[in-house]
Amino acid sequence: MAEVFGLYKQRASFIHGLHPLTKLAVSGFFLLAGLSLPGMWSTYLLVIFGLLPLAFLSRLLLELVSRTGRIVLPFMISVFLIQGILWSGGTPLIEVGPISFKQEGVQFAIASSGRILIVVGSFLWFALTTRPDQLMLALAERGLPSSLSYLIVSSIQIVPRFQARANTILDAQRSRGLEIAGSIFQRARAVLPLVAPLILSSLIDVEERALAIEVRGFNYPGPKTSYREIAQAAWEPMLQRFLLLAMAGTLILSIVLRLVS
Amino acid sequence: MISLQGVTYSYPGTSSPALRDLSLEIPRGQFCAVIGPNGAGKTTLAYILAGFIPHFYHGSLQGEVNVEGKNAATMPQRELLRLVGLILQNPFNQISGTKVTVQDEIAFGLENLGIPREEMVARVAAAMELVGVSELAERSPLGLSGGQMQRVAIASVLVMQPAILVLDEPTSQLDPVGSREVFQAVREMASSGQMTVIMIEHKVEWVAAFADRAIALVDGALLADGEPRHVLAIDTVWRAGVGQTRYTLAARRLQELGKWQDGKRLPVTLDEATLTFKAFQKRR
Repeated sequence: MAEVFGLYKQRASFIHGLHPLTKLAVSGFFLLAGLSLPGMWSTYLLVIFGLLPLAFLSRLLLELVSRTGRIVLPFMISVFLIQGILWSGGTPLIEVGPISFKQEGVQFAIASSGRILIVVGSFLWFALTTRPDQLMLALAERGLPSSLSYLIVSSIQIVPRFQARANTILDAQRSRGLEIAGSIFQRARAVLPLVAPLILSSLIDVEERALAIEVRGFNYPGPKTSYREIAQAAWEPMLQRFLLLAMAGTLILSIVLRLVS
Repeated sequence: MISLQGVTYSYPGTSSPALRDLSLEIPRGQFCAVIGPNGAGKTTLAYILAGFIPHFYHGSLQGEVNVEGKNAATMPQRELLRLVGLILQNPFNQISGTKVTVQDEIAFGLENLGIPREEMVARVAAAMELVGVSELAERSPLGLSGGQMQRVAIASVLVMQPAILVLDEPTSQLDPVGSREVFQAVREMASSGQMTVIMIEHKVEWVAAFADRAIALVDGALLADGEPRHVLAIDTVWRAGVGQTRYTLAARRLQELGKWQDGKRLPVTLDEATLTFKAFQKRR
């Protein structure tokens, strides 16, 4: 199930049972704090004392670490290399022949990698623990139009099928002799036989899908109901409000600190 | 009750009608199969019954279509969708794409109609039971096989309790076991007298075994109408390109070889073939 529905992973955890907006507020707080708090190590402290314990409580610690690592590590390595070596001026930290690692470059790389880490980590934690349909239901309850929710969620869910179809068309065309390797010119020429059937078949699908959801009353006038009840503990709205205030406070604090320094 | 009187329809931008002067009456509780070669107008008939013609596809519609005593062409789509359920060929395109589990997917239509949650829970459970997908309740609808997905699509429409169910080649992507299950489920629904079923289908052996009536369309016009075992044995139906059961084809081969008794009706079902060929063997 989880593979089909994007990133969401079902686990019997307390975190999974939280209201989607509570998790959205937590994730938003990490994101904002990570991007706005000054200091080289503040984001790492947020990850170690905030995000990782939450991932552990969600029973997704390894999943989160592995997925975040796969995205962030290549970026971190390149930032360290580029900033460490190419930082103009600065204090040499390590010297290997003509190449020297500058202290200021490494400090910059630590700070920017931390920011990427908290952005990717908090988004992934949210996506891994939140059912997309429940998020949309929660947003619809807060006034988001249902057609917009449908558009967002169905687009995300249908991407894997779209990729599968593209692969099928690719295989079919290759079996008929289409060369997709070679020079840039050859590759560009191979795109047309893939794109045309992909777009045409997708347009046919869109029409059939429109009929199918119409039959199921998608545009039926009047209020809609929900099969699922999104549970929300009595303290959750309070926590959501607190996190919104904390976000505002963090933002103000970071502006003040920047002005003072 | 469905009634079509002199219905002719042309899609926008086409000169040749997809349906020509079609008149039919289908009583409540009947399981009626619509057969015919590709381009015969079968899907057009389904769209007319579901109100997509003229509400979605405009074109030129003449004649009168009445569904449960009301004119389908003038009835608002929101009223018609509570009367007529439509199931299309491709099961993947019928999955809403917004739900994580099968049971949530089946409830999608009820949510749109504003049905209270308690009623939804009962109706979803009953629909899953009817088409045999209860064990898939917690699975992702997008992770199912074609056959399972089609049964979920059927349950998703059945749960809305339409008076008329129109199925456009619902078994086209199913294996023989899946096809039989769909036909059996549809047969039971029609037999309960609660639902009129119109099924467009190429698998004529199942039609012969399960349907009450077969309507053969060719080039948008009615070619034959009656009990499946009669319609499927008609020469002109066969010559128009409508599929035949393997029993009828075997008998036709004997006809070609000059070994078939003139005037003797061709067998269509397994039971008829057993009797006919046993007698044939005895005579030899």
